[in-house]
Amino acid sequence: MPEAAPLWAALVLPVALCLAAVAAAAFDAVLGGDARRGGPGVLAAATAPVREGLRLLAQQRRTTPSADVALGRIGLGLVPVAAVLAAAVVPWGGVSVADPVVGIVWFNAMEVLAWAAVWLAGWGPNSALSLIGGYRFLAQGLAYELPHMLALTIAGLGAESLRVSEVVGAQQGLWFVVWMPAAFAVYLLSAPAMSFWGPFGHPLGRDVAGGAAAEYSGVDRLLLLGGRWLLLVATAAFSVPLFLGGGQGPLLPGWAWTLLKTAAVLAALIVVRRMLPVLRMERYMEFAWMVLVPLALLQALFVAIVVLNR
Amino acid sequence: MGLIGVLPRMTARRPPVLLVTLPGATRERLAVEAELRHRGWPSAAGPAAAAGLVVAGEQGDVQPPWLADVWKGVPRPKAYVSVRQADDAPRALDVLGRLLATGRQGDAPWPPSTGSPGGTRGRERQDREDGGHGPYRHPEAGGHQARHDQGDHMDHPGRQDHGERPGRQDHGGHRGGVVAGLPMAGRADDRDGLRLDRLHLPLGPVLPDWPAGLVLEVALQGDVVQSVTEHPPAAGVPGRCPFWSEPWLRAAAGEAVTRGTAERRRCASHLDSVGRLLAVAGWPRPAAEARRLRDRLLHGAATDELAPGVLRLTRRVAGSRTLRWLTVALGELPAGRAGELGVTGPALAADGDVHARLCVWLAEIERSLHGMDDTRAVTGGDGPRGRLDPDRPPSRVLLDALLPLLPGAEFACARLILASFDPDLDELVGTGHA
Amino acid sequence: MPENTVFWVLAALAVGGGVMVFRFDSMARATYALLLSLLCVGGMVILLGLDYLGVVIVLMMTIEMAIMAVFMVMYMMNPAGLMPMSMQHNKKGAAVVCTGVFLLMASGIVLAPWPPRAGTADDDPTKALGESLMGPQMLTMMTLGFALFATIVATVLLATHRGRYDRLGDDLRARRADDPVPGGVGR
Repeated sequence: MPEAAPLWAALVLPVALCLAAVAAAAFDAVLGGDARRGGPGVLAAATAPVREGLRLLAQQRRTTPSADVALGRIGLGLVPVAAVLAAAVVPWGGVSVADPVVGIVWFNAMEVLAWAAVWLAGWGPNSALSLIGGYRFLAQGLAYELPHMLALTIAGLGAESLRVSEVVGAQQGLWFVVWMPAAFAVYLLSAPAMSFWGPFGHPLGRDVAGGAAAEYSGVDRLLLLGGRWLLLVATAAFSVPLFLGGGQGPLLPGWAWTLLKTAAVLAALIVVRRMLPVLRMERYMEFAWMVLVPLALLQALFVAIVVLNR
Repeated sequence: MGLIGVLPRMTARRPPVLLVTLPGATRERLAVEAELRHRGWPSAAGPAAAAGLVVAGEQGDVQPPWLADVWKGVPRPKAYVSVRQADDAPRALDVLGRLLATGRQGDAPWPPSTGSPGGTRGRERQDREDGGHGPYRHPEAGGHQARHDQGDHMDHPGRQDHGERPGRQDHGGHRGGVVAGLPMAGRADDRDGLRLDRLHLPLGPVLPDWPAGLVLEVALQGDVVQSVTEHPPAAGVPGRCPFWSEPWLRAAAGEAVTRGTAERRRCASHLDSVGRLLAVAGWPRPAAEARRLRDRLLHGAATDELAPGVLRLTRRVAGSRTLRWLTVALGELPAGRAGELGVTGPALAADGDVHARLCVWLAEIERSLHGMDDTRAVTGGDGPRGRLDPDRPPSRVLLDALLPLLPGAEFACARLILASFDPDLDELVGTGHA
Repeated sequence: MPENTVFWVLAALAVGGGVMVFRFDSMARATYALLLSLLCVGGMVILLGLDYLGVVIVLMMTIEMAIMAVFMVMYMMNPAGLMPMSMQHNKKGAAVVCTGVFLLMASGIVLAPWPPRAGTADDDPTKALGESLMGPQMLTMMTLGFALFATIVATVLLATHRGRYDRLGDDLRARRADDPVPGGVGR
């Protein structure tokens, strides 16, 4: 059983999450840099996210006429907050900030807050293109959420518990990814979808001039764009206790294994992102409901039978 | 000093730049894009994301009023430069970087518009809406509202054909009216037989990866395009040849142009179109690669030096099953219909959807790669977009063919369809047939 | 007692959010005020020790309200950010119904003979809930589930103006469905 984390962990968590997000963004920038031969060096690319963050901090905030400023700001603030709250149930080795009985459902509930958040951010500035971005995220949510929920449920089903630490404990010896590959694949697809990033970056697409982010500058923009990196890191990190055995591994301590595995998942997502164009939801939705949902249900059936015969 | 002084310098090292291309300024756009890539400066998707505003091309005597609103939409600290000649690009970006580093703004391009839209009519009024009502607005810009409105139309009784009526309406009736100087949305039947909210929105001229100078007035329900009308393109600079069809036009005018030159231009033009389509499709990496190859082609790189890179790109794009999955069955234009409309060139040869047109471009890129050393003289007038008819340039035909394909498409699909034809407004605004 | 404080804060927010639904003149704000109210209710359920139910309320209500906001804005015409709009309709009738329902429920609370607690709370209320639902109440839940599902299917069937024959041809053999916007699988 995991030990209860000390109180200061709650303060460390947001900082650690931000650092991880900056590292992931830096890795992404370095990978992106080699497309431009003769472009910036590795060091310049790696520091680009930090510089961009500082630039945004110093930048003027924009407003638009007849904007619903309050709702827009609530939406913007909700993105990083949801990410941190979701990350609270991720165990680092044996320790997690919170380990509620229904940790998996909690995680899901917090990431669903991003639905409301992105729509609000798109609604706030009173601009057509940013509202289209907000709409797009809702469509995306409807497409990814059902298979995603099933993937989460399957992990819970395999462990016969919704408590994250017990899910980790149930993977002693055999990681869930080995006998629930479909659920893991579905989870990996929905991780970028939830953080509206990469192939699922349609809500902030360039074709709508930045979508939900189209009208934001300064701190507002930083919250939204930084928040999605936080969400991505949080979801990637959560795949480790769900499917990759949490902190289990030889030699190294648990937290190091968690960190390594999270980094590996993140790196894989960032690398694969470059191989795919942005997925439009009118196509992906049908794929999600006609292919991914049945696939996840079959996986659930298989896991249920295994659990019953255990 | 301290942080306050260091910060601008540090963050100005690679400022995101919003590039606005004025009609007829393809050459300048290409120069600026090449320079931006060379420096590793990101390109901003809109004014909110930008630190620097670069205007490529000449404004002529009449400055487009929407530009002032775009400039106002860029958050401070910001800087502005204009690139009137392609050769100016490096120097202009140097200036931009210096301005940003010192925290100075540079001159605003022109006095900001005063924002009382009612007084402007006709051509000028249209220009105003074009820019100001694009995605970019600013508080003081006056009436620049885009979500559920049709801009400044409340002052124009002639434009009340969308269900709006001026004046405040009974709330319970949910009918349109004017609130805070901004008109309300009207209602119209949608694609699926529902009667829904509908808003009018001008697209362009400042949108990323959008044909320079094109302005479409669309009616949107949600993100579904219900109708599209085209604004007449703004006048370009007289006496300028459209960049992409230049070799053929010059040959037609009697100059000696080799086939190799023409094929190089065709190849670069298609690479430009492919880069734009991929960017709209949200695949930044090959899009950047296409543009990099385009620039190297235009700088005269040797064929055998470029061929492997080009072939790698074309095979990768043509072989992407995801891209195919995302672009098939969008904007179908069968060859029969295309022929009736007078379409020539790749769009006719494609005989199909967005993906088919992309594949024709890719095939033509590979083909023209082999013809770039041909020293015979150009015969025939088939430019990159089709037959260069002096009276009806191919882009005019393409626009007429593609606009009916847009209603009923979702916003992203509509943008893909448009990008898969990639009309070149320079052919319309310039003096292509002069 | 921190629990008491949390309870009263949540209760006040829930009621306040509920009131604001009718005070706001913007549809988006009204929707999200309702969401705030429902989230607080979810929090109170968690406070009662029913973690699962509480978190599920948060989860489901967020999704529902997000979708509802879109539908309201889409159908009801009012771009809420622009035009102030009353959220109240049929004020008198609504007031009468509300008062009646409130009195009925309040009198129910006050007058009902609440049984004294028998036994102790389960260690894991989530598990107890699941066992109760899937054990003695299995038949109820299954019937309920089927009824809900049938309602959804029937409603969609009644609402759609394009059936499978429109989409897949008279013999239902078309390789790709004929849709205004083609989907990703083609069925």
